[in-house]
Amino acid sequence: MNTPNTPDSTISSESAKAASSPHVRPDPRLTVAGLNHGFETDDGVRTALFSGLNFSVGAGEIVSIVGRSGAGKSTLFNLVSGLLSPQGGRIEVGRRSDGGAGRIAYMLQKDLLMPWRTVLQNALLGIELYRKVTRHDIARAREMLARYGLTSVVDAYPQALSGGMRQRVALTRTLLVDPTLVLLDEPFSALDYETRLALEDDVMALRQSSGTSVVLVTHDIEEAIAMSDRVILLGGRPARIEDSVDVKLSTQGPRTAVSAREAPEFRTLHKRIWGGLRSNTIHHAGAST
Amino acid sequence: MSDAVMSAQAAGRRMRVRRLKGLGATGGVVTLIMVALVVFWQVAAQRAWINGQLFGSPLGIYKAAAIGLAQGTLITDTLTTLYETVLGLVIGSGLGIGLGLLLWFVPRVAGVTEGFAVILNSIPKIALGPLIVIWFGSDMTSKVWLAGISTFAVAMISSCAAAREVDQDLLNLFRSFKAKPGMIFRKLIVPGALPWIFSTLRVNIGFALIGAVVGEYIASQAGLGHAVFVAGSLFDLNTVWLGIIILTLMATLLSWIVQLAENRIISWKTKR
Repeated sequence: MNTPNTPDSTISSESAKAASSPHVRPDPRLTVAGLNHGFETDDGVRTALFSGLNFSVGAGEIVSIVGRSGAGKSTLFNLVSGLLSPQGGRIEVGRRSDGGAGRIAYMLQKDLLMPWRTVLQNALLGIELYRKVTRHDIARAREMLARYGLTSVVDAYPQALSGGMRQRVALTRTLLVDPTLVLLDEPFSALDYETRLALEDDVMALRQSSGTSVVLVTHDIEEAIAMSDRVILLGGRPARIEDSVDVKLSTQGPRTAVSAREAPEFRTLHKRIWGGLRSNTIHHAGAST
Repeated sequence: MSDAVMSAQAAGRRMRVRRLKGLGATGGVVTLIMVALVVFWQVAAQRAWINGQLFGSPLGIYKAAAIGLAQGTLITDTLTTLYETVLGLVIGSGLGIGLGLLLWFVPRVAGVTEGFAVILNSIPKIALGPLIVIWFGSDMTSKVWLAGISTFAVAMISSCAAAREVDQDLLNLFRSFKAKPGMIFRKLIVPGALPWIFSTLRVNIGFALIGAVVGEYIASQAGLGHAVFVAGSLFDLNTVWLGIIILTLMATLLSWIVQLAENRIISWKTKR
């Protein structure tokens, strides 16, 4: 992962600028520095997706990455989750506050529950794959499932559950491995509005309960604003950070998925990000196919 | 929340009940038609509308069965063929499934092996009959071999494919949890392939039965294939029919056993 950063001289000025910009947080849980990645098309033309991309995510911070489809969101997701190795630059997962190694867990739109495992067994999968499951783990899993209102279905198979319930099981599976960073890729887009709001609250509550950082990859601007501390707008090819919006909402009462959407700043932020996306569309319509 | 589960369970139950009722009605109609055909066949044979010598008759089949039972040959023949079929099915499919799944570990070898399996599968296995009988003799061993060979390639090809076609997103999820290949195999590849394995087994019942019976046609001292072959050459059509009926029942019984095992092992498919 620690490949030396060797961008072209033309880009390095930009990455130097970015390094001193507010994209970088102190004590980061995730650091993406000088990320270079691209792919080769069938006719041998090399297309750069990222060229000297920099950003970081602080402890307990929720950051959304929005962009048009084709902007490289999914590739970025795969790079950060470790499914792909970056061709250049580094992606570092920060240590825990107690000095232990950091850990990334992710969740997709597909819940990826295994039909042959019960809800409890599905929730425990992550632990099972790296060490022996203890009685303590099972108790913790039951407790977390109970918090999400799944007590009655702990021993049921996923087929019997609604989409929202299944996604909550997937969230439990993601969180049970004690990640320092949770990576979400359009996790709620297949759900109905009400369930989606409830799950957004669940994710936002993570920060309070365990200080987990969250990176949310989405095309849904509303969801991005409602949930995050910061929205990063990704655009162009190679993709760069077109805008980085700190989301500060004066909500009535504690911030929830609903109260955030009712905050007076919501529309303004929406307009700014939507505008950014659209100008990006016009600008790079030819480049990104 | 629990309401939703309960109503889902209720819906599942309702659906099963409806399916069972539907099955009952269809089964009734099928039985009725079968009985009507048998009665018509018997009447036609008795009134000499058809040549009883060339077509046999239900009563004649019944008499052939009674004689077979009295002499004990019917039981011996049935057990012989059943033994050959089951042993061939278990050994051939077992080896095929095991090898096919294990090849998941070595994708490069899998490609080559699968190529050979496809060639093996294209050979009409029955054509190998004379070879097998020469190599392994005219007793049951050669039939077990023929039944086994008939099922091996199918089992291997389909379990190889089942392992390969595992959901890539699930595979990535396992990898993101840093699962070792052995772990992925045990906890994802094998359970994921189970439904395919069972459908392969069901198809293979037929192939194993063909292998055993054709082996008996070629050279044998006992077995339903032997009985049918001998009776055919003597124009004893009733005994031929009897053999066919028992073979059909045997295939049905084996399918039913596989289905039962499937329901037990893949209980998550039915349990909702």
